[in-house]
Amino acid sequence: MKRIKVIIFFLVWALLSIPAADGGQTELRILYVNDFHGFAEPHQPVGAVEPLGGVAYLAGKVDRLRRGRPTLLLAGGDMTQGNNWANFFKGASSIELMNAMKFDALVVGNHEFDYGVGVLKKRISQARFPVLGANVQGLSAVKPYVIKKFPGLRVAIIGVVTQDTPVTTHPRNVVGLKFLNPDDTVAGYLEKLKNQADIFIVLTHLGHPVDRMMAVKVKGIDVIVGGHSHTKVMKPAVAGNTLVVQAWEHAKALGVLDLTIQDRKIVKYDGYLEEIKPVPGGENPAVQKIVAKYEGQLDRLVNVAIGEAEVDLDGQHVRTRETNLGNLITDIIRETTGATAAIINGGGIRTGIPKGVVKIKDVYTALPFDNYLVSLRLTGREIREALEHGVSSLGEPAGRFPQVSGLRFTYSLSAPAGSRVREVIIGGGPLDPVKEYAVATHDFLIAGGDGYKVFSRAINTDNHGHLGGLLKSDRIIYNDASRWLRDVVIQYIQTNKKITARVEGRIQEIL
Amino acid sequence: MQVYVNGHPVALLVGMTVKHALIAAGVLEELASGKQVFDEWGQEIGLAGALTAEMKIFVR
Repeated sequence: MKRIKVIIFFLVWALLSIPAADGGQTELRILYVNDFHGFAEPHQPVGAVEPLGGVAYLAGKVDRLRRGRPTLLLAGGDMTQGNNWANFFKGASSIELMNAMKFDALVVGNHEFDYGVGVLKKRISQARFPVLGANVQGLSAVKPYVIKKFPGLRVAIIGVVTQDTPVTTHPRNVVGLKFLNPDDTVAGYLEKLKNQADIFIVLTHLGHPVDRMMAVKVKGIDVIVGGHSHTKVMKPAVAGNTLVVQAWEHAKALGVLDLTIQDRKIVKYDGYLEEIKPVPGGENPAVQKIVAKYEGQLDRLVNVAIGEAEVDLDGQHVRTRETNLGNLITDIIRETTGATAAIINGGGIRTGIPKGVVKIKDVYTALPFDNYLVSLRLTGREIREALEHGVSSLGEPAGRFPQVSGLRFTYSLSAPAGSRVREVIIGGGPLDPVKEYAVATHDFLIAGGDGYKVFSRAINTDNHGHLGGLLKSDRIIYNDASRWLRDVVIQYIQTNKKITARVEGRIQEIL
Repeated sequence: MQVYVNGHPVALLVGMTVKHALIAAGVLEELASGKQVFDEWGQEIGLAGALTAEMKIFVR
C-alpha cells in the first residue's frame, strides 16, 4: 500500500513538473486585487451613484470565475491597513478573509509595514499563502518568489514593493530592513529562475507608471500585476512585451486575465475588470461571516472607555477662537513630534467631547479625517504668514481658523486681512522673522488644505529627495503616514487616563 | 516631489497621494459634482492612490 502511495506521489509530481509540450497550449486564469485597505463592506465613494465593493461579493465572484480552470488569485499589496475594519485588528481580519478566499500570493505593500515588523511577522505566520517581497532585506518571513505548478505549466511569481516604503511609514516600522532597487532585484530573479518556470509574473506594489517603466526596462517579464497607484486598468496595458494590469482599489473591482500559453510564451490573452456590486445572493457566505464577525467586534471596541475628560472639551468654537480641545490636540501633536510649536486648522475638529467617560468613538467623531502628523522647519516670517492666513477670514466661522500650541499671538480684527497679527511669542520669546522653528501640523495643511499655502510653498522650495532610499530633506523633520492623528490622540488618552485642558490666552483678539 | 494636476505643477512630500495633489491644486471639491481623476493614459485612479514624481493627472 505504501509503495503504491509513493508511486502515485511521484507520478503526480512528474506530471506537475513537465513543461508545456511544444505545440501544446495551456490555459491560465489570473484573478487579482490590490489596495483593499480593509474596505470590507460595500460603500459609496465620493461622486458614485451607487454602492460598490463588499469583499464578500468579490469573493463570490472569485468562486464563480475559478470553476473548471487553472487559476491564480493574487494580491498586489496594502491589504491589511486603512479602514477601521483592518486597523482595529492590525490586519488580522484581512489575513483571515484572504485565507478563506485561498489567495495564492500577496506582495507586501508599504502599508503592510505600518504596524511595525513584529506585527507583520505575526500576520505572515497566520497567512496560509506566501507573502512576497524580493527586494526587502532583513525579514526572512517575506519570500522573494513562489513557483506554482499546474499540469504542463510552471508559473514563477516574484514580488517587489516600492523603495519609498521607509519614507511612507514611520522609520520605527522598518528598523533593520533594506529596500533594494526593484528593477535590479527582478532582473536578478528572472535570471536565477529561468530554468525553473515557463511564465514569469511580477507581483508589484510600485504604482502603475513604475510598472510600465519596469516592463520596458527589465526584459523577460510576461505579466506585471500591480498595486499602489489604485489604477483602474480596464484592459491590460502592453509595455514592451509585458502585460501590465491593476484592479483599482477597495474591493471595488476584481481583475481577470486569461492567458493561453504555448512554448513558454503567451500566445493569446484577454483581460478585463469585473466591477463589484453588492447584489443579493452574490456573496460568499463564509467570507460574509468573517466580515460580520469583525464588524461586531469593531462596534464593541469603539464603545470601549479609554479615559475620562475632567471638563467639557469645546469643539464647537474651533472655527472662531481658541478652545480647550484645540489646545489639547495641538499639545498632543507638539509633544508627539517634538516640535517647538503646532498649528492646525480648526475645521479639522468636528465636534467636542463632553465631560465624563471618553470612548474611542468620541475621538473618532471629533477627528474624523485621515490626517497624519508632519513637522517641518519654518522661518518666523512663514509662521506669521500661516497665522495671518488663519485669521484672514473672520466675521464668520472658517475652517482655516488656527488652533495652536507652543506659541501665543494677538490679532486685530480692525486691520485688513494679511496684516492682522500683532505680537507672536514662541518658545518663550518674540518671533524672530529669520530664525527657523520646528512647526508641527498635519498632511492636509502641508498639501495646502484650507488655503494654507505657506506649508506647500515651504516644501516646494525644499531640497528634498532620496539618498540611499531615505528621505533627504532640509525642511521635513517628522513625517508619520502610518498613524492617523485621532489614533495618536487615543493613545495619549489611554496613557494619561484623566484629561483636562483650558483656554489660556494663546490666541487673543485685540482692538 | 512634483506632480502635475491638469497641467499645473504642485509640490508634495514623497508618500502623499492623489487626494493631496487635488488639495494642493484646489480641485478636490470638484469630485462631488461627479468628476473623476485620470492618469496620463486615461485610466481612472483612486484618491488614495500613490503618486510618482512628475506624474500627470487630470480631473474631468
